[in-house]
Amino acid sequence: MSREREAEALDERILATIDAWHRQGRKLDEAEFDDLALAIFAHQLQFNPAYAAYCAGYGLSLAALPTTWREIPPLPARAYKEAAIAAFPIERADLVFESSGTTSGEPSRHYIENRRLYDAALLAGFERALLGDGARLRYFQLVPNPAQRPHSSLGYMMGRVAATYGDGETGWYLDEDRLLIEAFYQDARDACKRGQAICLAATALSLLHLIEAIEERGDSLALPPGSRVMETGGFKGRKRSVTREELYARTVRALGVPAERIVAEYGMSELCSQYYDLPGSQRSIAGATHRVKAAPPWLRTRVLDERERDCAPGTIGALAHIDLANRSSSLAILTEDLGAAVEGGILLLGRESTAPLRGCSLDAEDLRRS
Amino acid sequence: MTALSSVPTHTIATAIGDAAMRWCDADFPPRIRITHDIADRTGYSVPAVEFALDALFGELRADAFLATIARELGDPAGLDSPGTRILPLGRVAILSSRTTIGVAIPAMCFALCAKNDVAVKDREDRLVAAFAESLAQELDAFEPALEIATWDSRLDGDRLHGAAAIVVYGSDETIARVTADYAQSARIIGFGSRTSIAYLDAATQSSPVELRRALAGAARDASLYEGEGCMSLHALFFARSGTCPPQKLAEHFATAMEEAATEFPVAERSAAQRAEMLQQSKLAAFRAAAGRGAAFCDERLVFLVVLDPPRQEPPLFLPRTVVLLPVDSPEEIVSYVGRHALPIECFGVTGTPRSYTEIAGRIGAARIAPLGEMQRPPLRSHHGGRPRIAEYVRFLDIDGERD
Repeated sequence: MSREREAEALDERILATIDAWHRQGRKLDEAEFDDLALAIFAHQLQFNPAYAAYCAGYGLSLAALPTTWREIPPLPARAYKEAAIAAFPIERADLVFESSGTTSGEPSRHYIENRRLYDAALLAGFERALLGDGARLRYFQLVPNPAQRPHSSLGYMMGRVAATYGDGETGWYLDEDRLLIEAFYQDARDACKRGQAICLAATALSLLHLIEAIEERGDSLALPPGSRVMETGGFKGRKRSVTREELYARTVRALGVPAERIVAEYGMSELCSQYYDLPGSQRSIAGATHRVKAAPPWLRTRVLDERERDCAPGTIGALAHIDLANRSSSLAILTEDLGAAVEGGILLLGRESTAPLRGCSLDAEDLRRS
Repeated sequence: MTALSSVPTHTIATAIGDAAMRWCDADFPPRIRITHDIADRTGYSVPAVEFALDALFGELRADAFLATIARELGDPAGLDSPGTRILPLGRVAILSSRTTIGVAIPAMCFALCAKNDVAVKDREDRLVAAFAESLAQELDAFEPALEIATWDSRLDGDRLHGAAAIVVYGSDETIARVTADYAQSARIIGFGSRTSIAYLDAATQSSPVELRRALAGAARDASLYEGEGCMSLHALFFARSGTCPPQKLAEHFATAMEEAATEFPVAERSAAQRAEMLQQSKLAAFRAAAGRGAAFCDERLVFLVVLDPPRQEPPLFLPRTVVLLPVDSPEEIVSYVGRHALPIECFGVTGTPRSYTEIAGRIGAARIAPLGEMQRPPLRSHHGGRPRIAEYVRFLDIDGERD
């Protein structure tokens, strides 16, 4: 079978899987997940030379395939910064997403052959996590505007969501990194006047900027009932940060959106699928409380120790995602994020910066912080 | 007047040396107790702590203090004569280290030799306080001269207020903060973030015995204190013209790192460190599969050796992690250090250290040491390129007399 035919056949299988969950809530059992994952992996071994060469180091090849999805080697996410990780000629890419490159300078590039897969995965995930009530909302976007940043996966995602589920009056309130607060206010007041519930999609940082701008005015908004917030990303590599608890508490006060209507999304440009908060779920780990993040059935995660073994549930390790929608790149990715497996999903602890240079010590860091 | 102003310098140095000698004995009861407390606090293995204490107290000899004083200030007896023009500053405050074991102690001892009163912010293991007790047993005058406490940040202002000098071992940010607040009233002596690198020359590679010895030394320099100190080796450059092929050399070094882990068992690591080491080892494996460099580690990822990573990347500041970089000439070291703006503490070398003076000067190194000795700075050397005792005195000149 030609590469194109094989790719199309796999894509149809994946689309059917997504559709079955999206429409009927049908999940994959272990054997079904294995079957599809191993078929995609074999395809990638054959047509993705960079990933195949890496897997050869694990003793894997078309002649020596793994027996379960857990044996599929996760490719380090940083490899996407160094090579084209693609199971097709990249000049035929339907979509190309780049990471923001905030932590190390060089952006990673994710080449996607078939946007239908990407769209189906993102719409299914978003609808189930945020639109369970079938609401048609007005979208307020505090994420990169695709007109300015065509390679932002987040901007693309929210553009597709708004085009599919929105009321046709989507607003984009970031001009590059600048918050367009006046435009936001004007449109938010308009939505309030009309009683139009909104969905505010924001990165954690832009949400913080918005809240601070509202607080600085000594103001607060009471967004119409049914309004909600999708927040994503952390403060990695940023000097300013607040805890998620504080961010949400201030969001509730500033926007009048109840806490249970704030949903965190977890995704990355190297993945086609996303995690979302599981409603009403909270677990404590390492002295902090986190919401459980749940994945759609075609996305699974391993939590790995330094020997690349699966950690016991509740133990913190490195997250490695196996995303079946990543058919045209690498389906298994080792991230730099920390987390733990729990019932119903994962706890995401995010990313700690790597060790800084040490002086003769790190002492006086706590000095005079009070 | 300070508590030690009437005590002869020789007496002070001798008392410190005598107290330190007791601490050189691994069976000295306070040392036994403190060793475990330090291991608990830092997470380092007991052998690593023992090594640190041996290196620290073994250097605190009266002759070394007196020789250093003579080099920096002239005849030590000159500090005692009536009308001396080398005077103590008054009160010196020292903010000691979270990771480097006992880093405050040499500074404290030199400040005492200069007859200052000294306040030290100790760590939770109270090593400085325990040593101060030994000092007071040798010489009563140390008791009023020393104030050791694990003080709380709310009291820092009180403790630092009135200090004539403040020694800070900490991050650049912390030093900047202390400088902003106290530089008007105190001399700020900051020891900030630094790292260490080394060079393995071609001649050493041609002798299997010499090569093995050098790599064993480098492995020790990289493994001690989990790579957290400013003297920890993070990048080992080697002459490409050497007879040992890069891959082979990296394999030998990995073997040495494994052996060092037997001598100094690995410390507990954070989940973030473990995840980052896994990511880096896999990234190096990915590059190797693409034909660039190689990664060497053991099954437990106790150490990580990365051969020939891209030059645009700085060293990996992770536990027991070293990048191996082949170079055609030491000149490439200068450009690497410059490119990444690395503040270099120690430049480890093979062969004749003196022959690397020019290159060490250009990379801003404070010290050149043979491989295997990077983590053992002699007391007689400067610290971080700065004087040991001259920072703790003030000079009184009389116009014309020096001429």
